[in-house]
Amino acid sequence: MADLKEYLRKKSDSKFGKIAIDRDLCIGAASCIAVSGITFELDNENKVIVIDPDSVDDDTLLAAAESCPTKAILLFDKSGKQIFPK
Amino acid sequence: MEKYKYLIIGGGVAGLTAAETIRSKDSIASVAIVNDEPYTLYSRVMLSKPNFFLGEIPFDSVWLKNEDWYKKNNINFFGGKKAVKLDSKNRTIILSDDSALRYEKLLIATGVQARKWNFPNSDKKGIYYLRTLEDGRVIMNAIKSAKRAITIGGGFISFETADLLKMAGIDTTMIIRENYFWEPLLDEESGRMIEGALKKGGIKIIYKSEVKEIVGKTNVEAVILQDNTKIECNMIICGIGVYCDFDWLKDSGLKTNRGILADEYLKANLPDVWVAGDVAEFKDITLDETIQIGNWVNAREHGRIAGLNMIGEKIPFKFVSFYTTQGLGISIAFVGDVRSDKSRIVIKRGSPQKNSYGRVIILDKGARKEIEGATLINRTSELAAIAKLIEKNIDVSDKLDKLGDDNFDLKSLIQ
Repeated sequence: MADLKEYLRKKSDSKFGKIAIDRDLCIGAASCIAVSGITFELDNENKVIVIDPDSVDDDTLLAAAESCPTKAILLFDKSGKQIFPK
Repeated sequence: MEKYKYLIIGGGVAGLTAAETIRSKDSIASVAIVNDEPYTLYSRVMLSKPNFFLGEIPFDSVWLKNEDWYKKNNINFFGGKKAVKLDSKNRTIILSDDSALRYEKLLIATGVQARKWNFPNSDKKGIYYLRTLEDGRVIMNAIKSAKRAITIGGGFISFETADLLKMAGIDTTMIIRENYFWEPLLDEESGRMIEGALKKGGIKIIYKSEVKEIVGKTNVEAVILQDNTKIECNMIICGIGVYCDFDWLKDSGLKTNRGILADEYLKANLPDVWVAGDVAEFKDITLDETIQIGNWVNAREHGRIAGLNMIGEKIPFKFVSFYTTQGLGISIAFVGDVRSDKSRIVIKRGSPQKNSYGRVIILDKGARKEIEGATLINRTSELAAIAKLIEKNIDVSDKLDKLGDDNFDLKSLIQ
């Protein structure tokens, strides 16, 4: 089982209901922090954590997930279906 | 002759991001990417990660863009072709198959090459460099049968490959020229912390040493060091630095140093030519210096800004670069400019004894003191705050005591 850490997104105008970080895949490249430093941060194990799941719009959140070189950021819609990575 | 409004040489993350950025703003312009490797965009950073190497995650997870993506975005992809000449007067690129492409606007994002050993017997089988996907494939195959390995060089490649070699059950010795790991980018205390993790992982380290001879018939069998120590091995991984290949730019008029020189807009000295990624030696306006940086996040940001400037915007590149790695139970981060010469003040946070040790590097501008960089061992949680402090050029002259207090929250300094 992957080591997934999940964060609920409650932003009403968002199609995403949940962000998950796969800590086995995350290598701390931190490209997501470059895209959205108000959403993501590193912990001391060099893994990404979500500090504010509602901080940015959907486009920015998707851009941050797409920037990850190990596809460690997973995005789910409100019904729980994984949207990214496809 | 095919002509493109936007022609991009180099299909790594810098080139791809530029193409993606251009396409997001202009849905009809012709865009092409020329890539010397035959592959669509893959994750170069995965190549040195143990869980990828050891097959714990599927090989296919290395792909970040498939062929469909290029088709869907109407981006022509010339894979497996190398640019061999830039004729800037005629705005033409000659490719390795003798075909030619014309451009209106050109981006060079060709990256760097692994520096190769060049002495007798350095062409024996069993000597590996890690830069391309093909290099990665070859090493993945080799570790299945290797028993004893040597890594050369004290940097990221050595650190990360030592970790994966050890996990693969291979007896590993690291040979470094320096007195301690990552000298002089790190101080000795940080270097020793990393060595502690390496040694605890069972890796042997030989200091102040270089290989002078390679022994073996067709395959590597051993190396002989300058002090005549002989170490048996059937695999050598070389991480001895990188260089830019400028042969194809001869007579182009493009100004180069270690990289291709560019201003803060990532614009080179020739008309309608931009530069992005590891190959760019650009004016960094945060540090007020011309620098060359080789990492994923920087290359991606370069690609984005170069792409925007190519379509007519004028946005300076302003980004505090950082690089992190982890393995063998230790995490390491470099943020900004980590040189710690005499003109800089170094403030320590935590300590090696606490197994959490950071160094904040401050430029002393007399009345003003500004954070320029940091090295962080097992303190990557402070990376984002430090990058912000560097970016904002915040004066910390009356905060030096606080910066040295391990419990002081750096975020509170961000206004």
